[in-house]
Amino acid sequence: MATLAYDTPLARTADPDAEDAARAAAGDAAAFERIYRRHCARIHSLARRMIGAADADEATQDVFVRTWQKLGLFRGDALFGTWLYRLAINVLLGRRGAAAKYQERNAGGDPTVLPLATRPDRIDLRVDFEQAVELLPPGARQVFVLHDVEGYTHEEIAELMGVSAGTSKSQLHRARMTLRQYLA
Amino acid sequence: MHDPWTERLSEYLDEELPAAELVALEQHLAGCDACRAVLEELRAVAAIAAGSTASPPTRDLWPDIARRIGVDSAAVVPIAGRRPPPRFSFTVPQLAAAAVVLMMLSGGGVWLATTGGGPGRGVATAPARTEAGNPPAQLAASESPGYESAIADLELALADRRDRLDTATVRVLERSLATIDGAIAEARAAVERDPANPYLHRHLDGAMKKKMDILRRAVTVRRAGT
Repeated sequence: MATLAYDTPLARTADPDAEDAARAAAGDAAAFERIYRRHCARIHSLARRMIGAADADEATQDVFVRTWQKLGLFRGDALFGTWLYRLAINVLLGRRGAAAKYQERNAGGDPTVLPLATRPDRIDLRVDFEQAVELLPPGARQVFVLHDVEGYTHEEIAELMGVSAGTSKSQLHRARMTLRQYLA
Repeated sequence: MHDPWTERLSEYLDEELPAAELVALEQHLAGCDACRAVLEELRAVAAIAAGSTASPPTRDLWPDIARRIGVDSAAVVPIAGRRPPPRFSFTVPQLAAAAVVLMMLSGGGVWLATTGGGPGRGVATAPARTEAGNPPAQLAASESPGYESAIADLELALADRRDRLDTATVRVLERSLATIDGAIAEARAAVERDPANPYLHRHLDGAMKKKMDILRRAVTVRRAGT
């Protein structure tokens, strides 16, 4: 097997995933399972928030299948986790069709108006918040998750989603203005 | 809400308003209770989002993934006896403090790498080389397998727990570790250029120890408030 750029002692020290990534790229499924175990919660949460709980399991599988197929392209220019999440976002953004169907199923009227009968108790706030995020319109939801949850900048989001930074800002504001209703 | 300034409150919150508009909006906020209330609600939404934690899927997806990539999941050696990792987290101030330490360490590494040492490092202080031309063993502690192994173990322990951290914390931690890894790389390069220099070896040792300290604290620190 050719020596990969990240398959060095120093690279392995710097990135806890690098050695398993190198092994997995050479066909070691056990190494790939370790990668899956380390990252599945974050990837699944990202999928759930970006495209909805109903499709999150399937989307998470898609992400890891695509990762397995693309492992040979990882060169260690960034931490493996960073590379993986970027790949995951691309996979999830490619499922706009599924997201739109989810929206249609769950949000029958104006998706930005989601009245709550009563103010949620503090302990339920996070659950309700997660549910509210799922019901945002797809574009606003994806920008909100990428910016406020994942910490990407508007410029990065614009590149990922193929929109302008201005559009990203307006979608973020739209999402926040909708979600604030749950805290009122 | 028809106040035109309301549409700019997210940009204000994210400190992305141009200076002129920033001043104008702050003047407006001083006299507009409604906009101040919306601003606080937007701030609360952003804070909850930033504090979101990851949760695993309700069922194990690995068998399906293994099937789809053409691997028999039953043939994969199971990760037996895996215990659920203890809950832990860092406070942002803790991580910020760690980042400052690492930035200082990295700066020291650059200085050593570019100057080949520090003032007062005389030739007389350089130790004698071994017959093989290698530095004495006590200077190469950082290169011992045990050192690397200990760091690798700590990194794995941290990796197992990272799913419990919120995204913003993980990003800060990754940046901090990247910084100290840069310092270690610079120290290694300096050692390779001047392997008999005891200062460089001590600096490399120090960098490795700093990384171990950070990792050790990272995997043992208790969640704030618990």
